Amino acid sequence: MNILAIIFMSAGLFFLVVAAIGVVRLPDVFSRSHAVSLTDSLGAFLMLIGVAFHEGLDTNTLKILVVLVLLYILNPVIAHATIRAALRSGLKPWKKENL
Amino acid sequence: MVTRSRPISSEFLFLKTITLFVFWVLFSASFEWVHLGLGLIFSFAVAWLNSGHSPFVPRFRLWLRIFLYIPWLFYEIIRSSLHLSKLILHPALPIDPHLISVESKLHHHAAVVLLGNSITLTPGTITAEVDRNNLIVHAIDKVSGADIVSKQIELKIADIFKDEKPDL
Amino acid sequence: MTTFFFFVLMSLGILIGVYLYRVLKGPTIFDRVLGLNGISTKAIISLIVIGVYFDRVDMFIDISTGYALINLVGALAVAKYLEEKGLP
Repeated sequence: MNILAIIFMSAGLFFLVVAAIGVVRLPDVFSRSHAVSLTDSLGAFLMLIGVAFHEGLDTNTLKILVVLVLLYILNPVIAHATIRAALRSGLKPWKKENL
Repeated sequence: MVTRSRPISSEFLFLKTITLFVFWVLFSASFEWVHLGLGLIFSFAVAWLNSGHSPFVPRFRLWLRIFLYIPWLFYEIIRSSLHLSKLILHPALPIDPHLISVESKLHHHAAVVLLGNSITLTPGTITAEVDRNNLIVHAIDKVSGADIVSKQIELKIADIFKDEKPDL
Repeated sequence: MTTFFFFVLMSLGILIGVYLYRVLKGPTIFDRVLGLNGISTKAIISLIVIGVYFDRVDMFIDISTGYALINLVGALAVAKYLEEKGLP
Protein backbone atom coordinates (compact mmCIF):
# COMPACT_ATOMS: atom_id res chain seq x y z
CA MET A 1 0.00 0.00 0.00
CA ASN A 2 2.79 2.43 0.88
CA ILE A 3 4.51 1.82 -2.46
CA LEU A 4 1.25 2.66 -4.31
CA ALA A 5 0.85 5.80 -2.20
CA ILE A 6 4.39 6.93 -3.00
CA ILE A 7 3.91 6.29 -6.75
CA PHE A 8 0.61 8.20 -6.91
CA MET A 9 1.87 11.13 -4.85
CA SER A 10 5.04 11.43 -6.92
CA ALA A 11 2.97 11.54 -10.12
CA GLY A 12 0.73 14.20 -8.57
CA LEU A 13 3.75 16.22 -7.48
CA PHE A 14 5.10 16.04 -11.05
CA PHE A 15 1.90 17.55 -12.44
CA LEU A 16 1.87 20.24 -9.73
CA VAL A 17 5.45 21.22 -10.61
CA VAL A 18 4.60 21.33 -14.34
CA ALA A 19 1.60 23.54 -13.59
CA ALA A 20 3.74 25.93 -11.53
CA ILE A 21 6.27 26.16 -14.39
CA GLY A 22 3.38 26.87 -16.74
CA VAL A 23 2.02 29.63 -14.52
CA VAL A 24 5.40 31.36 -14.66
CA ARG A 25 6.17 30.73 -18.35
CA LEU A 26 2.90 31.22 -20.23
CA PRO A 27 2.17 34.68 -21.68
CA ASP A 28 -1.34 35.77 -20.59
CA VAL A 29 -4.31 35.08 -18.28
CA PHE A 30 -6.14 32.76 -20.66
CA SER A 31 -3.16 30.46 -21.19
CA ARG A 32 -2.22 30.54 -17.51
CA SER A 33 -5.70 29.38 -16.56
CA HIS A 34 -5.01 26.19 -18.56
CA ALA A 35 -1.99 25.53 -16.35
CA VAL A 36 -4.03 26.12 -13.19
CA SER A 37 -6.71 23.73 -14.45
CA LEU A 38 -3.98 21.11 -14.96
CA THR A 39 -3.26 21.36 -11.23
CA ASP A 40 -6.90 21.13 -10.30
CA SER A 41 -7.85 18.21 -12.49
CA LEU A 42 -4.96 15.79 -12.32
CA GLY A 43 -2.45 17.01 -9.70
CA ALA A 44 -4.92 17.24 -6.81
CA PHE A 45 -6.59 13.98 -7.89
CA LEU A 46 -3.37 11.95 -7.85
CA MET A 47 -2.19 13.48 -4.55
CA LEU A 48 -5.45 12.79 -2.73
CA ILE A 49 -5.72 9.26 -4.15
CA GLY A 50 -2.20 8.64 -2.83
CA VAL A 51 -3.23 9.85 0.64
CA ALA A 52 -6.34 7.65 0.47
CA PHE A 53 -4.19 4.60 -0.32
CA HIS A 54 -2.00 5.37 2.67
CA GLU A 55 -4.99 5.73 4.99
CA GLY A 56 -6.68 2.46 4.02
CA LEU A 57 -10.44 1.94 4.05
CA ASP A 58 -12.25 3.93 6.76
CA THR A 59 -14.36 7.08 7.29
CA ASN A 60 -11.47 9.41 6.59
CA THR A 61 -10.97 7.93 3.13
CA LEU A 62 -14.64 8.56 2.35
CA LYS A 63 -14.23 12.17 3.45
CA ILE A 64 -11.14 12.53 1.26
CA LEU A 65 -13.21 11.30 -1.70
CA VAL A 66 -15.89 13.89 -0.83
CA VAL A 67 -13.24 16.64 -0.91
CA LEU A 68 -12.10 15.28 -4.28
CA VAL A 69 -15.62 15.39 -5.77
CA LEU A 70 -16.04 18.88 -4.32
CA LEU A 71 -12.81 20.03 -6.01
CA TYR A 72 -13.94 18.53 -9.32
CA ILE A 73 -17.27 20.35 -9.21
CA LEU A 74 -16.11 23.70 -7.81
CA ASN A 75 -12.83 24.34 -9.65
CA PRO A 76 -14.26 24.52 -13.20
CA VAL A 77 -16.83 26.99 -11.90
CA ILE A 78 -14.12 29.25 -10.43
CA ALA A 79 -11.96 29.06 -13.56
CA HIS A 80 -14.94 29.81 -15.80
CA ALA A 81 -16.00 32.79 -13.65
CA THR A 82 -12.52 34.32 -13.70
CA ILE A 83 -12.06 33.83 -17.44
CA ARG A 84 -15.51 35.19 -18.23
CA ALA A 85 -14.79 38.28 -16.15
CA ALA A 86 -11.49 38.75 -18.01
CA LEU A 87 -13.16 38.39 -21.42
CA ARG A 88 -16.08 40.68 -20.57
CA SER A 89 -13.87 43.45 -19.23
CA GLY A 90 -12.24 43.68 -22.66
CA LEU A 91 -8.95 41.81 -22.25
CA LYS A 92 -7.72 40.49 -25.62
CA PRO A 93 -6.22 36.98 -25.75
CA TRP A 94 -2.53 36.77 -26.62
CA LYS A 95 -1.90 35.85 -30.27
CA LYS A 96 1.18 34.40 -31.88
CA GLU A 97 1.61 37.04 -34.61
CA ASN A 98 1.65 40.22 -32.49
CA LEU A 99 4.73 39.05 -30.62
CA MET B 1 -43.10 34.05 5.07
CA VAL B 2 -41.44 32.36 2.12
CA THR B 3 -42.88 33.18 -1.27
CA ARG B 4 -42.60 30.40 -3.83
CA SER B 5 -42.36 30.59 -7.58
CA ARG B 6 -43.19 26.89 -7.98
CA PRO B 7 -45.29 24.43 -6.01
CA ILE B 8 -43.42 21.96 -3.81
CA SER B 9 -42.79 18.65 -5.51
CA SER B 10 -42.69 15.85 -2.96
CA GLU B 11 -40.23 13.82 -5.02
CA PHE B 12 -37.75 16.69 -5.05
CA LEU B 13 -38.23 17.24 -1.31
CA PHE B 14 -37.62 13.58 -0.52
CA LEU B 15 -34.49 13.27 -2.68
CA LYS B 16 -32.97 16.47 -1.34
CA THR B 17 -33.63 15.49 2.28
CA ILE B 18 -32.00 12.11 1.72
CA THR B 19 -28.95 13.69 0.03
CA LEU B 20 -28.44 16.26 2.79
CA PHE B 21 -28.89 13.58 5.46
CA VAL B 22 -26.25 11.34 3.86
CA PHE B 23 -23.83 14.26 3.90
CA TRP B 24 -24.70 14.98 7.54
CA VAL B 25 -23.93 11.40 8.56
CA LEU B 26 -20.72 11.44 6.55
CA PHE B 27 -19.41 14.61 8.14
CA SER B 28 -20.52 14.10 11.73
CA ALA B 29 -19.50 10.39 11.73
CA SER B 30 -21.41 9.71 14.96
CA PHE B 31 -24.40 7.38 15.22
CA GLU B 32 -26.09 8.57 18.43
CA TRP B 33 -29.85 9.03 18.30
CA VAL B 34 -29.74 12.71 19.21
CA HIS B 35 -27.35 13.52 16.37
CA LEU B 36 -29.25 11.48 13.79
CA GLY B 37 -32.58 13.06 14.78
CA LEU B 38 -31.16 16.59 14.66
CA GLY B 39 -29.66 15.85 11.25
CA LEU B 40 -32.97 14.61 9.90
CA ILE B 41 -34.81 17.69 11.19
CA PHE B 42 -32.27 20.13 9.82
CA SER B 43 -31.96 18.47 6.42
CA PHE B 44 -35.73 18.44 6.03
CA ALA B 45 -35.89 22.14 6.99
CA VAL B 46 -33.18 23.13 4.50
CA ALA B 47 -34.77 21.05 1.72
CA TRP B 48 -38.18 22.62 2.41
CA LEU B 49 -36.75 26.16 2.34
CA ASN B 50 -34.96 25.47 -0.95
CA SER B 51 -37.61 23.51 -2.76
CA GLY B 52 -38.89 26.46 -4.81
CA HIS B 53 -35.76 26.95 -6.88
CA SER B 54 -34.86 23.94 -8.96
CA PRO B 55 -37.39 21.91 -10.94
CA PHE B 56 -34.81 19.40 -12.15
CA VAL B 57 -35.06 15.94 -10.58
CA PRO B 58 -32.67 13.55 -12.32
CA ARG B 59 -33.99 10.04 -12.70
CA PHE B 60 -32.04 6.93 -11.81
CA ARG B 61 -31.37 6.03 -15.47
CA LEU B 62 -29.76 9.41 -16.02
CA TRP B 63 -27.49 9.00 -12.98
CA LEU B 64 -26.39 5.61 -14.31
CA ARG B 65 -25.51 7.09 -17.69
CA ILE B 66 -23.57 9.95 -16.07
CA PHE B 67 -21.61 7.45 -13.98
CA LEU B 68 -20.77 5.54 -17.14
CA TYR B 69 -19.69 8.81 -18.77
CA ILE B 70 -17.18 9.69 -16.02
CA PRO B 71 -14.47 7.06 -16.87
CA TRP B 72 -14.41 8.19 -20.50
CA LEU B 73 -14.06 11.82 -19.36
CA PHE B 74 -11.23 10.78 -17.08
CA TYR B 75 -9.40 9.10 -19.96
CA GLU B 76 -9.73 12.34 -21.94
CA ILE B 77 -8.39 14.34 -18.97
CA ILE B 78 -5.28 12.16 -18.71
CA ARG B 79 -4.65 12.29 -22.47
CA SER B 80 -4.89 16.06 -22.73
CA SER B 81 -2.95 16.59 -19.47
CA LEU B 82 0.01 14.73 -20.95
CA HIS B 83 -0.30 16.81 -24.12
CA LEU B 84 -0.39 20.07 -22.15
CA SER B 85 2.59 19.01 -19.98
CA LYS B 86 4.56 18.34 -23.15
CA LEU B 87 3.66 21.82 -24.44
CA ILE B 88 4.69 23.54 -21.21
CA LEU B 89 7.98 21.69 -20.84
CA HIS B 90 8.95 22.21 -24.51
CA PRO B 91 11.80 24.77 -24.66
CA ALA B 92 10.29 26.72 -27.58
CA LEU B 93 6.77 26.96 -26.02
CA PRO B 94 4.85 26.05 -29.24
CA ILE B 95 1.43 27.35 -28.18
CA ASP B 96 -1.18 28.94 -30.45
CA PRO B 97 -4.10 30.27 -28.34
CA HIS B 98 -7.34 31.00 -30.14
CA LEU B 99 -11.04 31.41 -29.41
CA ILE B 100 -13.55 28.94 -30.88
CA SER B 101 -17.27 29.63 -31.11
CA VAL B 102 -19.34 26.45 -30.72
CA GLU B 103 -23.04 26.13 -31.28
CA SER B 104 -24.27 23.00 -29.54
CA LYS B 105 -27.48 21.15 -30.31
CA LEU B 106 -28.30 20.36 -26.67
CA HIS B 107 -31.78 21.33 -25.49
CA HIS B 108 -31.40 20.90 -21.76
CA HIS B 109 -30.05 23.17 -19.02
CA ALA B 110 -28.27 20.37 -17.20
CA ALA B 111 -26.74 19.12 -20.44
CA VAL B 112 -25.22 22.53 -21.20
CA VAL B 113 -23.88 22.71 -17.62
CA LEU B 114 -22.33 19.26 -17.99
CA LEU B 115 -20.80 20.18 -21.36
CA GLY B 116 -19.27 23.41 -20.02
CA ASN B 117 -17.88 21.69 -16.94
CA SER B 118 -16.39 18.87 -19.01
CA ILE B 119 -14.72 21.32 -21.39
CA THR B 120 -13.27 23.35 -18.53
CA LEU B 121 -12.12 20.26 -16.64
CA THR B 122 -10.19 18.99 -19.66
CA PRO B 123 -6.82 20.78 -19.59
CA GLY B 124 -6.12 22.76 -22.74
CA THR B 125 -9.64 24.05 -23.29
CA ILE B 126 -11.70 26.40 -21.12
CA THR B 127 -15.24 27.74 -21.47
CA ALA B 128 -15.15 31.52 -21.60
CA GLU B 129 -18.77 32.46 -22.26
CA VAL B 130 -22.11 30.67 -22.27
CA ASP B 131 -25.26 32.05 -23.86
CA ARG B 132 -28.08 29.49 -24.03
CA ASN B 133 -26.66 26.99 -26.53
CA ASN B 134 -23.66 28.92 -27.77
CA LEU B 135 -20.33 28.48 -26.08
CA ILE B 136 -17.11 30.42 -26.64
CA VAL B 137 -14.14 28.21 -25.90
CA HIS B 138 -10.51 29.24 -25.45
CA ALA B 139 -8.12 26.55 -26.66
CA ILE B 140 -4.37 26.61 -26.18
CA ASP B 141 -3.37 25.02 -29.48
CA LYS B 142 -4.74 23.34 -32.59
CA VAL B 143 -4.67 19.82 -31.15
CA SER B 144 -6.75 20.78 -28.09
CA GLY B 145 -9.10 22.80 -30.27
CA ALA B 146 -9.67 19.85 -32.59
CA ASP B 147 -11.43 17.94 -29.79
CA ILE B 148 -13.96 20.76 -29.48
CA VAL B 149 -14.46 21.25 -33.21
CA SER B 150 -15.05 17.52 -33.75
CA LYS B 151 -17.87 17.70 -31.11
CA GLN B 152 -16.81 14.45 -29.45
CA ILE B 153 -17.89 15.46 -25.94
CA GLU B 154 -21.14 16.99 -27.17
CA LEU B 155 -22.21 13.79 -28.94
CA LYS B 156 -21.58 11.79 -25.76
CA ILE B 157 -23.68 14.22 -23.69
CA ALA B 158 -26.47 14.29 -26.28
CA ASP B 159 -26.50 10.51 -26.00
CA ILE B 160 -26.89 10.75 -22.20
CA PHE B 161 -29.80 13.20 -22.41
CA LYS B 162 -31.62 11.69 -25.40
CA ASP B 163 -34.67 10.52 -23.40
CA GLU B 164 -35.25 13.69 -21.36
CA LYS B 165 -37.86 16.34 -22.05
CA PRO B 166 -36.21 19.44 -23.62
CA ASP B 167 -36.50 22.61 -21.52
CA LEU B 168 -34.25 25.13 -23.26
CA MET C 1 7.15 7.22 4.91
CA THR C 2 7.30 10.20 7.28
CA THR C 3 10.31 11.49 5.38
CA PHE C 4 8.41 11.28 2.11
CA PHE C 5 5.47 13.24 3.54
CA PHE C 6 7.88 15.87 4.84
CA PHE C 7 9.40 16.10 1.35
CA VAL C 8 5.92 16.53 -0.17
CA LEU C 9 5.12 19.30 2.32
CA MET C 10 8.38 21.11 1.52
CA SER C 11 7.67 20.90 -2.24
CA LEU C 12 4.15 22.24 -1.73
CA GLY C 13 5.59 25.19 0.19
CA ILE C 14 8.01 25.96 -2.63
CA LEU C 15 5.19 25.70 -5.19
CA ILE C 16 3.11 28.16 -3.16
CA GLY C 17 6.09 30.51 -3.36
CA VAL C 18 6.11 30.20 -7.16
CA TYR C 19 2.42 31.06 -7.32
CA LEU C 20 3.04 33.97 -4.95
CA TYR C 21 5.48 35.36 -7.53
CA ARG C 22 2.61 35.42 -10.03
CA VAL C 23 0.31 37.07 -7.49
CA LEU C 24 2.80 39.83 -6.74
CA LYS C 25 4.03 40.35 -10.31
CA GLY C 26 0.92 39.70 -12.45
CA PRO C 27 0.31 42.41 -15.06
CA THR C 28 -3.50 42.38 -14.74
CA ILE C 29 -5.71 41.82 -11.72
CA PHE C 30 -7.03 38.55 -13.19
CA ASP C 31 -3.55 37.03 -12.98
CA ARG C 32 -3.57 37.75 -9.26
CA VAL C 33 -6.99 36.16 -8.80
CA LEU C 34 -5.85 33.09 -10.75
CA GLY C 35 -2.70 32.82 -8.62
CA LEU C 36 -4.75 33.02 -5.44
CA ASN C 37 -7.01 30.25 -6.75
CA GLY C 38 -3.99 28.04 -7.37
CA ILE C 39 -2.62 28.80 -3.90
CA SER C 40 -5.89 27.80 -2.26
CA THR C 41 -5.98 24.47 -4.14
CA LYS C 42 -2.48 23.79 -2.86
CA ALA C 43 -3.52 24.83 0.65
CA ILE C 44 -6.33 22.23 0.56
CA ILE C 45 -3.88 19.50 -0.51
CA SER C 46 -1.26 20.48 2.04
CA LEU C 47 -3.84 20.60 4.86
CA ILE C 48 -4.68 16.96 4.17
CA VAL C 49 -1.00 16.00 3.95
CA ILE C 50 -0.34 17.81 7.25
CA GLY C 51 -3.17 15.79 8.77
CA VAL C 52 -1.52 12.54 7.64
CA TYR C 53 1.87 13.74 8.88
CA PHE C 54 0.57 14.44 12.41
CA ASP C 55 -1.85 11.45 12.46
CA ARG C 56 -4.91 13.72 12.85
CA VAL C 57 -6.63 13.33 9.45
CA ASP C 58 -10.12 13.32 11.02
CA MET C 59 -9.64 16.90 12.22
CA PHE C 60 -7.82 18.40 9.24
CA ILE C 61 -10.14 16.92 6.59
CA ASP C 62 -13.09 18.95 7.91
CA ILE C 63 -11.01 22.11 7.85
CA SER C 64 -10.04 21.46 4.24
CA THR C 65 -13.67 20.88 3.23
CA GLY C 66 -14.66 24.21 4.75
CA TYR C 67 -11.70 25.86 3.07
CA ALA C 68 -12.79 24.56 -0.34
CA LEU C 69 -16.31 25.95 0.12
CA ILE C 70 -15.10 29.35 1.38
CA ASN C 71 -12.68 29.48 -1.55
CA LEU C 72 -15.59 29.02 -3.98
CA VAL C 73 -17.64 31.83 -2.44
CA GLY C 74 -14.70 34.23 -2.29
CA ALA C 75 -13.53 33.58 -5.85
CA LEU C 76 -17.06 33.93 -7.24
CA ALA C 77 -17.57 37.23 -5.38
CA VAL C 78 -14.29 38.66 -6.70
CA ALA C 79 -15.04 37.51 -10.26
CA LYS C 80 -18.54 39.01 -10.16
CA TYR C 81 -17.22 42.32 -8.81
CA LEU C 82 -14.51 42.56 -11.48
CA GLU C 83 -17.03 41.70 -14.18
CA GLU C 84 -19.22 44.65 -13.14
CA LYS C 85 -16.35 47.05 -12.70
CA GLY C 86 -14.16 46.22 -15.70
CA LEU C 87 -10.43 46.68 -15.96
CA PRO C 88 -9.08 49.17 -13.40
